[in-house]
Amino acid sequence: MSSEQPHQTPQQGRESSQPLRSPKTMTKAERRELQEKQRAAKASAKASGQANKPATKQPEGGGEKSSGKPSGKQGSGGGPSTQAQTLHQRRGSRVGGDIPRLGGGPGGNIVSDLSSRSINPRGVRIFSHFGLQQKSGAGKGLIHPAVVRLGLLFSNFQITGANARCLATLITFKHVIQDYTTPRNNTLTRHLMNHLSAQISHLVAARPMSVTMGNAIRQLKVEISGVDIDLPEQDAKESLCEKIDNYIQERITVAGQVIAQSAGFKIKNGDVLLTYARSSVVEQVLLQAHKEGKSFSVYVVDSRPMLEGKKLLAALTSAGIPCTYLLLSAIGSVIAEVSTVFIGAHSLHSNGAVHSRAGTALVSMMAKQHSIPVVVCCETYKISETVQLDSFTKNELGPMNGAFSIFPISIPRESLATENTANLEILNPLYDLTPPRNITAVVTEVGVIPPTSIGTIHMALGRMI
Amino acid sequence: KVAPPLAAIMALTELIEKSTAGTMFELSGVLDKGTQQLTDRVPNSIGLNAGCELFNLFVTVATHDLGVLSDFKDKLVRQGNQYIAEAALYSEKIAGFTNGFVKDGSVILTHSHSRVVMKALLHAHKRKRISVYVTEAKPRGLGLKTHEMLTAAGIPCTVVLDSAVAYVMDKVDFVLVGSEAVVESGGLINATGSNQIAIIAKYANKPFYALAESFKFRRLFPLSQYDLPTHGPGILPFPRQVPPPTSVTNGQSPSDDLKDAGPPVSPSAGSLARKSMSAEQIALNPEVDYTKPDLISLVISDVGILTPEGVSHYLVGMFAG
Repeated sequence: MSSEQPHQTPQQGRESSQPLRSPKTMTKAERRELQEKQRAAKASAKASGQANKPATKQPEGGGEKSSGKPSGKQGSGGGPSTQAQTLHQRRGSRVGGDIPRLGGGPGGNIVSDLSSRSINPRGVRIFSHFGLQQKSGAGKGLIHPAVVRLGLLFSNFQITGANARCLATLITFKHVIQDYTTPRNNTLTRHLMNHLSAQISHLVAARPMSVTMGNAIRQLKVEISGVDIDLPEQDAKESLCEKIDNYIQERITVAGQVIAQSAGFKIKNGDVLLTYARSSVVEQVLLQAHKEGKSFSVYVVDSRPMLEGKKLLAALTSAGIPCTYLLLSAIGSVIAEVSTVFIGAHSLHSNGAVHSRAGTALVSMMAKQHSIPVVVCCETYKISETVQLDSFTKNELGPMNGAFSIFPISIPRESLATENTANLEILNPLYDLTPPRNITAVVTEVGVIPPTSIGTIHMALGRMI
Repeated sequence: KVAPPLAAIMALTELIEKSTAGTMFELSGVLDKGTQQLTDRVPNSIGLNAGCELFNLFVTVATHDLGVLSDFKDKLVRQGNQYIAEAALYSEKIAGFTNGFVKDGSVILTHSHSRVVMKALLHAHKRKRISVYVTEAKPRGLGLKTHEMLTAAGIPCTVVLDSAVAYVMDKVDFVLVGSEAVVESGGLINATGSNQIAIIAKYANKPFYALAESFKFRRLFPLSQYDLPTHGPGILPFPRQVPPPTSVTNGQSPSDDLKDAGPPVSPSAGSLARKSMSAEQIALNPEVDYTKPDLISLVISDVGILTPEGVSHYLVGMFAG
């Protein structure tokens, strides 16, 4: 192999204690070898160390981009075994990055899994940007116990859904604010901001922030910075808590009720509705319409691994709505009978695209093909100023263990893929993007609008989102 | 005659003027009742509702500086009348905008009869040579009225069967239709047949322009044809009981029936020879249909030349901003 020859020179150079040649003077192959050696050294130090390695994650993350190319060029013909080893470990830590370390158990398994994995450069490289997270060191600054608890709940996926997460975050921050005392020689506005930022980083480390959380926190920061400097601390804290309550009331609770009513006008007796996974807003819409006495039936479409539709199914059937439950793969058989599709959203983008649970894009596409109207029910605080054109650029990979391993008992466990093995990498993106052309209408609390008019909402709201 | 929304505004303005209500509450009650009567009287109240919504907007805006009731009423009446006077000029403006899209020698297709389109065509005819295909627009046959008016003005015009639109579409340069209402989604509500023409135009890659004054814009959002306020179980249902086949009652053999294609043999077979739909059959058919926004190239209105997406921007700015 051509890489063999130059292999010797940099090593010899170092052994003879000459100054290291600058990377510019080395050939590409020489640079490659140098990087591999450095990485191998680090990896061996890491492998013999602990499972929790926040500090070393950064340099690995930085270095892997350049190694990705050489390994691709070398192909699967393989290089020296140490090279393969380091590639595994890097890839492994990257993809498995969002598996919680705090839990202890799952995190510990990662290291032992790494060595059994083989090179799979092509598949993982596409999603390589998902798993990169800034892991803040545990205990950096004082993290409020409520925030620690929330972080655990997030990372174990026990609280899911844009609304639920935002509500939980705001309620937790109320606790934080109430327990907060301004240190001497500091103003509440400035110091509280820093204090909260530390809490927020902890939450983000547990699981990437949702757009709803982001918008709510931004609003909270605006309120904090607007606090009167002369106000006594307790009053300031109370006013902030009140502002949080107002935000929740106005933009989540009441907004949901208004949406339920507006969307209810689109439901007529005898309709056959279809919904996907579990949206808290769509649930409200359907229950409200049923309460108003309309008779309709619902197809609840669900998909692995989260199987959130089951919760929605339970809620709807206990209210007395006739439902049918099916998996996403069966949607082609029932779509022709559907009159309207209702979907929820994790966030809405300025170009009208809907970022929602993975699988929603398929449902909307199918509906569009059959000329069935697709109605998105979404509060205005879910609107993100960004424009998103595909599902790739911004997404989140879910783990394949813990809360995600819900299996039907009839199928033997061994036949189901539960974790990465040799030659098998499991990808579980949680979200996907529905383009505006597949959406008929968006129901918000300020009105029913076409997806192309998201930009007019701030006009209707009369304020910044 | 006047466009329905303007008629509604006129009626409501007059109602306010003549009303003897003493308080604001009474006045709004009178308005509500008036609106209700208007919409109940006419089966297709989409246009009227547009006018009523607009009038409600005037009321809302006027209540911001509420003074004495009589002043308020005067203000409202004055505003109503002023709007009506201005609105009469809207169609001129639209004709001016449309002129930019007409090239010398254009072949235009239009549907049924529309005041705005008529004005635009006559305006274009002053400087350019145009020829017009107009659809018959059964069952009301208003296309013939258009044909008469255009021919009288000296514009070469031919009436096209509703079913022959696809036949002529390749000869046409663009399609121009009027509207009953333009809705929040950017879609169009117009006489039945507009949707068909729009679909054919889209397929043939011909531009489809909808002309609409701004008082026809409505904050309605139909998801589909069947979500229109004019749609209901009375539109195009299947008959509950299929009548028994008539040939059997006469005791004729089936082979005889096949030979007797022309002259009616039995009294009930006379219905087979009828050339046009009966009144009951026509009543089962829709009067208006909904054209989806992706089929419309541009909406030309007095507030400007809008894309279908822009209609919602205008509506939000007007009604919610």
